[in-house]
Amino acid sequence: MTERPHLLLVDDERSIREPLAQYLSRNGFRVTAVESAAEARIRLNANAIDLVVLDIMMPGEDGLSLCRHIRETSETPVILLTAKSEETDRIVGLEMGADDYVLKPFSPRELVARIKVIFRRVATGGQRVTAPDGATYAFADWLLKTQERVLVDREGVALPLSTAEYNLMLAFATRPNQVLSRDQLLDITQGREANAFDRAIDNQISRLRKKIEPDPKNPTLIKTVWGGGYTLSADVRKL
Amino acid sequence: MTRFRLWPQSLVGQIILLVAIALFVAQAINFSLLLRERNSLTLTAQTAPAVYRIVDALDNRGDRPMRDRPRARFSDTAPQLTGDARPEVERRALAMFADAGLRIYSIRVVEANEPAPLRRWERLRMRAGGDFAGDNRPRRLVMAVQYEPGKWVVTQSRSGGRPPRFGGWLIGQTLILYVIVLVPLLWVGRRLARPLGQLTRSAQQFAHTGSADPVEERGPGDVRDLTMAFNAMRSRIFAMLDEKDRMLGAIGHDLRTPLASLRVRTESVEDEGERARMSQTIDEMNRMLEDILSLARAGRSTETAQKVDLSALADAVVEDFVELGSPATMADSERAVASVRPQQIRRALRNLIENAIVYGERAHVSVVREDGAIRLAVADDGPGIAEDRMEEMMEPFTRLEGSRNRETGGAGLGLALVRAIMAEHGGALKLTNRAGGGLEASLVLPV
Repeated sequence: MTERPHLLLVDDERSIREPLAQYLSRNGFRVTAVESAAEARIRLNANAIDLVVLDIMMPGEDGLSLCRHIRETSETPVILLTAKSEETDRIVGLEMGADDYVLKPFSPRELVARIKVIFRRVATGGQRVTAPDGATYAFADWLLKTQERVLVDREGVALPLSTAEYNLMLAFATRPNQVLSRDQLLDITQGREANAFDRAIDNQISRLRKKIEPDPKNPTLIKTVWGGGYTLSADVRKL
Repeated sequence: MTRFRLWPQSLVGQIILLVAIALFVAQAINFSLLLRERNSLTLTAQTAPAVYRIVDALDNRGDRPMRDRPRARFSDTAPQLTGDARPEVERRALAMFADAGLRIYSIRVVEANEPAPLRRWERLRMRAGGDFAGDNRPRRLVMAVQYEPGKWVVTQSRSGGRPPRFGGWLIGQTLILYVIVLVPLLWVGRRLARPLGQLTRSAQQFAHTGSADPVEERGPGDVRDLTMAFNAMRSRIFAMLDEKDRMLGAIGHDLRTPLASLRVRTESVEDEGERARMSQTIDEMNRMLEDILSLARAGRSTETAQKVDLSALADAVVEDFVELGSPATMADSERAVASVRPQQIRRALRNLIENAIVYGERAHVSVVREDGAIRLAVADDGPGIAEDRMEEMMEPFTRLEGSRNRETGGAGLGLALVRAIMAEHGGALKLTNRAGGGLEASLVLPV
C-alpha cells in the first residue's frame, strides 16, 4: 500500500457518489468513483484497489453480487453501504464476505473511521475479521448467536448482550485460548486506542463474567492473565 | 344466568334446540286438538243411544197407548236417579234434542255406579280368559227427560268405556318425529359448522400471526360462497400487505438516499456549529423515517419468538445507554424468562428509556415478576402526564404539550410503536404517575 490508499466507490446515486468521493479525497484517499457493478469490475481488473465502498441497491448487478465476486477473486476489503436496516439484509451482506457495513444515511466521518480500522488491520497483518456473519459459536454451556446478539444458556434461554458486551464476547469467541491485552480488546471491539485511565474493558469483563461464569468471583471461562490481559479458556466450536 | 348457560352458543345448537322446541309445541297443540275432538266424539257416542231411544219412544207414543218402549219407561213423577251427574252429557243431549226438533223441559243424566250388564260377546271374551275388567268396564248411563210438564221418560244406555290413554302414543310419535327431523338437521348442521369453524380458525390465526392458510371450500352452497369470498379477501389482504411492505421498502430507500446525500454534503459546510445542527436534523429525520417504517410494519415481524431472560435484556439495553453517558440505571432483578421477539422488546424498552431521559431527566429500569406476567418498568423524575391524556399519548403523532419545540422531539411515534409491539406479544403498555412524582411506563408481557 502506498501513502495514499486507493478506494473504489461504487454507487449509482450521483448525489451520494460525487460528494462522498470529494469528502474521501479530502481525507487522504485516492478515490475512483463508478456508477455500476459492471464498471467496477473493469476498474478492479485495471487498478490496484485497496478497498471497495459498495452500495447494495443498484440497478443491474447489485452490490451483494459484486461483493461475492470480489471475495471470490481477491482479498480486497469491502464496506457495504445499505439503505435497509432490516437485520436480514445485514446478515446477507456479511455472509457475502463484506468486512463491514454502514447504514444510510451515514456519517462520512464514521465511514472514514471504519475504513481506517480495516486498513490498520490489514497493515498489522491481522486476520480478516469478517464481523458477525450470522454464525453461532458454542463454548462451555453457552451459545453465542451473532445474528441476534444473544448468549443462549443450557436451558435454551437467551440472554441479550449490550453492544459492548457483545463485541467483547465475539472477540473472545473468535480467538479462544489467546491472551488478549486491554489494548488489543479495545482495538478489536471499538477500533480505538486505550488511554492510561481506561477501565472500560475491565468493567465489561466483569459484567460478562457475571453473566456467564458459574462463580463470577473465581472465573473459569474468562481468565485474567497477570501482566497480559484476558483469555477465554474454553474450546469454541463454530456452528 | 342459568338460562344463558342452557342456551347453546353455536348456530347448529341453537337451530336444533329451536326446532326441538317448535316440534314439541306443535305436537302439544296437535295433541290438545286431537284430545278435544276425541272427547267430543266420545261424548256424542255416549249420548246418542239414549237420545235415540227417547226420541223413538216419544215419536211412537201417539199411535199406541203410553206403554214402555224397549228400555224406555214413562213416568208421571220425577224419577229418583242415583249416580254421578253428567252435566256435559245433559248439554249434549239437549243440543241433540233441539236438532231433532223436540222441545223438552228438563233433563237429568247420571252415570250409575254399577257397571252396565255385559254384552254377549263380552261375556264370551271374558270366559275365553281375556281381561275386560277394571276401569274400562262400561257403566250404565241413565237419562231422564221431562217431555211435558210433570211427564218423564227414562232410558238407559252404556256409557261406553273411558277412552284409552294416548299420552304414551304422543311421546312415541314425538320421538319418531325428532329422529326424522333432527338427524338430517344434525347432518346439515355439521356440514355448516365445520367450514364455519375453519373460517373462524383461519381468521383467528390471521389475527395472531399475521398469516393464515386458505380455507377448503366445502359445505352447502352459501357457506361455500362465504369461504370463497373469505379466501379471496385473504389473498387480497396478503397482496395488499405485500404491496405495503414493498412500498415501504421503496419509500425507505428513496428517502434515505437523498438524506444520505445531504449527510455527506454537510461535511463541506465550514461552520462547525452549523454542520453539527444540520447532521442532527438529518439524524432526526432518519429516526422519524425509521419509526414510521417500523410502525407501518408492526405485526409483520420476521423475527421469531424465543425464550429470553428479560432481566438480562433490560440490563443490556440500559448498559448501552450507560455506555453513551445517558442517565439510566438498572435495578437488580431476578431472572424472568418469557417467550418474546428480543429485538422488538429491545426496541420498545429503548423507546421508553429515551422518553424517560428526554422528558423525565433520568430512567430507572426494573424488571418485576407478577402473576402470570413480567413487568419491565421505566420510571423517571419528570412531571408525569395528566391522567386524562395518557390514553392519547399512545396514539401516533401525539406529543406532550410544548415538546414540539424541542430539538429532541421526534415524530411522536415512540409510544405508538411500543404499543404495537406489545399488541403483537399479547402484552400491554401501561402508563402511571408515580406516587413520589414522575412517570412510570411499563411493558407488561404474559409469561
